[in-house]
Amino acid sequence: MTRLERARRTARRGTILTAVALAGLAAVYVRALAFTPIERFQGPAQKIFYVHAPAAWAALLAFTITGVLSVLYLLLRDRRLDVVAASSAEVGVAFSVVMLTTGPIWGKPIWGTWWTWDARLTSTLFIFLLFTGYLVLRGALGDREVRATYSAVLGVLALVLVPFIHVTVYWFRTLHPEPIVAKPGAPSLPGVMLVTLLSSLAVFTLLYVGFIMQRYALGVVREAREEGDLDAGA
Amino acid sequence: MQVPDNGGYMVAAYVITALVVLGYALTLLYRLRRER
Repeated sequence: MTRLERARRTARRGTILTAVALAGLAAVYVRALAFTPIERFQGPAQKIFYVHAPAAWAALLAFTITGVLSVLYLLLRDRRLDVVAASSAEVGVAFSVVMLTTGPIWGKPIWGTWWTWDARLTSTLFIFLLFTGYLVLRGALGDREVRATYSAVLGVLALVLVPFIHVTVYWFRTLHPEPIVAKPGAPSLPGVMLVTLLSSLAVFTLLYVGFIMQRYALGVVREAREEGDLDAGA
Repeated sequence: MQVPDNGGYMVAAYVITALVVLGYALTLLYRLRRER
């Protein structure tokens, strides 16, 4: 099987996985909106939590994987690592858009403000802008080796920023609440809400995998086109 | 205690999430088809 055939098979599998994940997202919507109780103090706005936190999880997972693969690319110089890293960065930016729009929409009724320049929110905006710049950089560089090296150097920063974002709620004064699941000890959430959150986390993780498979296949086809061997099917 | 009436924010967040996720899925499909 040629590289392009493998890529097209990966794309098909990714599309199927994404379709399954989208059906799962619809199920999460039904569960969150109709079968999960309204929190007494925050009201219906608290249900934004079930899309905001999983989107944040998926975005930071994506950037972490970009960071790890960037380090591996700089060490091993395997072009597949660069393609997966770039794919993960793009998917991470998409999930960041969800995180950075649902967050302020939740913040306005609960905090009384759409945005505040505290450490958590600012560092989250920064990583979004960093990886948007990463994608712009890749689009601007024609030489494949230079593009892969420069973007890997930028991608490595995720390995510093993601842990920093996680600890900002402990190290700095912020309006953003501390984690209620990803923390030492048991999650501080009633069972029915926890099941909704975990379902949503699973669906967003599945979406991430489906998106990555498709985006990776797209990257491989584009690389083949750059090499001029698309028609040869190499 | 009365539960706050802020359902509009919830609806907005869920609509935006669906639009972004579906939109990105469609752009991937479109780009893959165009590269074929």
